[in-house]
Amino acid sequence: MKSLNKIKSAINKNVNGEVYLKEWHKSIILEGKVKSWDDFIKAGQIAANKGYKGVVNNMEVEGFKSPPIKAPSIKDGTLDGKKVDVLVIGGGVTGCSILRELSKWDISCLLVDKEEDVAMHASSRNDGMVHPGIEPKPGSNKARFNVEGNRLYTQIAKELDVPLNRTGSLVLFDKKILKAAFPIVDARRKKNGLDKIKLVSQSEIKKYEPYADDNVGGALFFPSTAITCPYKMTVAYGENAVMNGAEISLNTIVLSIHKEEDKIVYVETNRGKIFPKVVIDAAGCFADVIADMAGDKFFSIHPRKGEILILDKKKGRLLHSVLAKPSLTIVKGNTKGGGIVKTVDGNILVGPDAYEQPLREDFSTHMENINAIANKHFPILPGINKGDIITYFAGVRAATYEEDFIVEKSEYVENLVYAAGIQSPGFASAPAISREIERITIDVLSKMMKVKKKENFNPYRKGIPDLSLMNENDRSELIKKRPDYGVIVCRCEEISKGEIIDAINSPIPTRTIDGIKRRVRPGMGRCQGGFCMPQVLNIISKEKGIDPTKVTKKGEGSNILVSETKQSK
Amino acid sequence: MDNYDVVVLGGGPAGLAAALASNECGGKTLIIEREKLLGGILKQCIHDGFGLIRFKEKLSGPEYSGRYIDMVLEKDIDVETSTFVTEIKKQGEEFLITIVNSKYGVKKIKAKAIVLANGCRERTWRQVFIQGTRPAGIYTAGTAQYFVNMMGYLPFKKCVVLGSGDIGLIMARRLTLEGCTVEGVYEAKSTPSGLSRNIAQCLDDFSIPLHLSHTVTRVFGDDRLNAVEISKVDEKMIPIPGTEKIVECDGLVLSVGLIPENEIAESLNIKIDRKTKGPFVDQNLMTGLEGVFSCGNALHVNDLVDYVSESGEIAGENAAKYAKEHKDRKLIRMNADSKFLYAVPQYIDINSLNQKVIAYFRSRDIRDKMTVKLLYDGQVIFSRKYNKLKPPEMERITFDISKLNLKDNGEINIVMEG
Amino acid sequence: MKTLVCIGCPNGCELSVEEKANDILVSGNMCPKGKEFAINEIKNPVRSVTSTVKTVYEEVPRLSVRTNGEIPIKYVFPLMKLINTVEVDHPAKRGEVILKDVFHTGVDVIATSDMNYMLRGVK
Repeated sequence: MKSLNKIKSAINKNVNGEVYLKEWHKSIILEGKVKSWDDFIKAGQIAANKGYKGVVNNMEVEGFKSPPIKAPSIKDGTLDGKKVDVLVIGGGVTGCSILRELSKWDISCLLVDKEEDVAMHASSRNDGMVHPGIEPKPGSNKARFNVEGNRLYTQIAKELDVPLNRTGSLVLFDKKILKAAFPIVDARRKKNGLDKIKLVSQSEIKKYEPYADDNVGGALFFPSTAITCPYKMTVAYGENAVMNGAEISLNTIVLSIHKEEDKIVYVETNRGKIFPKVVIDAAGCFADVIADMAGDKFFSIHPRKGEILILDKKKGRLLHSVLAKPSLTIVKGNTKGGGIVKTVDGNILVGPDAYEQPLREDFSTHMENINAIANKHFPILPGINKGDIITYFAGVRAATYEEDFIVEKSEYVENLVYAAGIQSPGFASAPAISREIERITIDVLSKMMKVKKKENFNPYRKGIPDLSLMNENDRSELIKKRPDYGVIVCRCEEISKGEIIDAINSPIPTRTIDGIKRRVRPGMGRCQGGFCMPQVLNIISKEKGIDPTKVTKKGEGSNILVSETKQSK
Repeated sequence: MDNYDVVVLGGGPAGLAAALASNECGGKTLIIEREKLLGGILKQCIHDGFGLIRFKEKLSGPEYSGRYIDMVLEKDIDVETSTFVTEIKKQGEEFLITIVNSKYGVKKIKAKAIVLANGCRERTWRQVFIQGTRPAGIYTAGTAQYFVNMMGYLPFKKCVVLGSGDIGLIMARRLTLEGCTVEGVYEAKSTPSGLSRNIAQCLDDFSIPLHLSHTVTRVFGDDRLNAVEISKVDEKMIPIPGTEKIVECDGLVLSVGLIPENEIAESLNIKIDRKTKGPFVDQNLMTGLEGVFSCGNALHVNDLVDYVSESGEIAGENAAKYAKEHKDRKLIRMNADSKFLYAVPQYIDINSLNQKVIAYFRSRDIRDKMTVKLLYDGQVIFSRKYNKLKPPEMERITFDISKLNLKDNGEINIVMEG
Repeated sequence: MKTLVCIGCPNGCELSVEEKANDILVSGNMCPKGKEFAINEIKNPVRSVTSTVKTVYEEVPRLSVRTNGEIPIKYVFPLMKLINTVEVDHPAKRGEVILKDVFHTGVDVIATSDMNYMLRGVK
């Protein structure tokens, strides 16, 4: 453990501003004021991993005031006085997978999320890659959960009926780097417990990816890399939990946490007070806010943003797995540098990049980043160009200064469990993290009550049928039973009215344009919903019995329409 | 299995005209339409100005398509609406078409010839690389038109229109009449994209300003759009840093271009012209694949429906003739020089009995007092003077090749001289 | 001297208009309609109006309409107000008069879609 004074002087040498340090609960708290966000981050990074549990960065940045958390305006008492055994805060893949694993047990579980749907933040804003687990530092939580999560995904995808392609990934290297890289990478592979990787010679590259640029020294092939759909996976986890008796309350934000002695008694939300036996913090970019509410903020989240491009399916034939070319070395601290991914839906995805910025809920994109991503990655797949881009979006990673997952019971609050700091490869790690959280939670809960497994837990969840992938006879049969399956609404993605209605009435019901888009894809294609969006709106309006002006894109305030015409009468 | 001489994909103005022409030539004809109603995009184009050439009247879109729908329904032409084509395969001389609808589930249909009349789609705000958030309130002009004209809902209170294409201009007027404020129309090019008369009657009449050499670079608002960032652009249409200004609005209408829909053509490996974004065709509007014809906005984006119908007729007639009998084609190139945006057809079949060629072209730039010439083997085979040529205004010419003695190693060059 | 763009047809002729004593001189027009348009624009500009009216049918909530001639430009917004009060309660035919002789101009507002087809088609 380095002395605080040493850390302080290292910070003040490298950072513009005045920084004060103090120790609290084995963590370092940074206070003071710095000039820029870069300074803010740098200070946190210098203080990290110096033998303390965590870095709590409470500094101010000149001229910057953190905007308030976006909160639903609804206030009611639907949850007031509700007693549950476990309360999960956060409906990303981490929270939803935890809810599902806990739904195996004969206990009451409730998940709350402040958004209109699950998977609204990082879980719908990543590349869907199930990383092999080569990049995390050996011995880290990331390494452990990534490798384990990767292995678990085959079974999980089968149980939850979510497409998963274990294609492997091909990492291209320039000649000079390849020779040096292989032994380093292979040594790390062994330490992290991965399957064997393969050294691919230049002449073999085309065997793996016929359209890749093979004007390189060679490549490494990681056979265990898989691709799945991150938001479909999150929804599927959530749905399976709901099928098994768990509850999900959306548009529900945690406002405060009330403890007596070292135990949480109730959690106040905009829908009333919830009385849980155990609370799980899976709040993504707001995990430190939740910890603070519980008086246990021993870490800080700093939002690390990334942008992603999606290309037309037409170019899908150019790739069948994952392709990347690290610019310097594969072992780079913060960013994996992104790559090119063939999504399970057949599109090509490019990115993400990674950059520090202060906003936790800013999902805006920027031209310079879009250009940089294209310039960086397009050359390794020469058949693609900027004209193939059909959309782009941004996500924000919930990074801690320690750059590792926090998967543990709180040291100071008896009934609080953390699944925090879950950034990349968090999606790949979810099946393993959720099992570990399940174990910890059940352990904590067992001290308060008798806990037993459910007898009738059903691990299988059936997804909404994708008729475009069915054989003709099955498709005809299904259409005969439900004629709505024969009405194609989205022409780019070949999605029927029946599939849209299924999404509206699914176990985590949705009534937003984006919610339906994430579940069954209308609007994901090249016309970006130009033709089908009004149809989807009409279907939602009819199915839900709500006025068309009340239909939203993604929840409160995002209404598609303003008013009816001809109202002068 | 149902067998047809000609299957027309698309029941808009091109497809309706193609089906009528095919039927007229004795072809057993089927129209497949993915929407509930025939008429294509004209259903929602309630403004007038359609059919001046064809019917010598100023009709609205629904009237123009309505007349064709009536004619089709009177004739012995089969129609499948709410029907989606999932696959087309060429089997020997014939085509095997797989369709999906509620009535049959999945069904196969055989055709001797196919007419692609799929129309076009609108370029999106992502394709013009507008950055920022992804709020509600950003719609293509066609989507906004559907909301207002078909559903009877206003999607905005106050909007900005990006792009001075005709639909954008028409929607600016339409939204204004329905009570929405149109703050302005912004166009990245230094000249308008739409017809002059639409600028006069849709913008000038309502004092809606048109800002040339300006574009929308960014949008704001997490849930619903609350502002857009406008930037000036240079001659290459690149935004100039430092010229940004913020315009508060809750709507953005995109009229930034139309793209022919040719996913089916591409699935058949039919070669697409990068200039028109439609298939390469000969004067019979047959594509590179024997037996497949293309017309209307799927072939190239037209500004007048009258020409859409005309190309539908050419395609439909020749498809029916092809279904009856056909001989090998001998294609020669018809090249337009760089002063043209494009010219259609790109090939002439010198073996064809059809020797009266109808060609369409667009100038790349606005030019005064030009002569357009067709050259073959150094000789001028056609020449016409134009007072003014503008990119938004497509020109049509006809010429006869019967007396030209075209040889299969020759080519026709279209040139513009000032 | 004034310049106008003729809206009579897609040619969009650029017209030069000069008012001289009792005469209006028009040039730049490719057809007689251009002259007529220019003179109207000076004396009494007229426009046709296209819009929709409400219907009682849930599946076809709006019916497209237009004026079957041109009306003075000053009546455009008043006509919109009038159009917005109409509700069609039967399957109107294409060409059917929806509003007769609006503002005593002799111009009617007519239906431009065939509601029978639209209602049948959506079933």
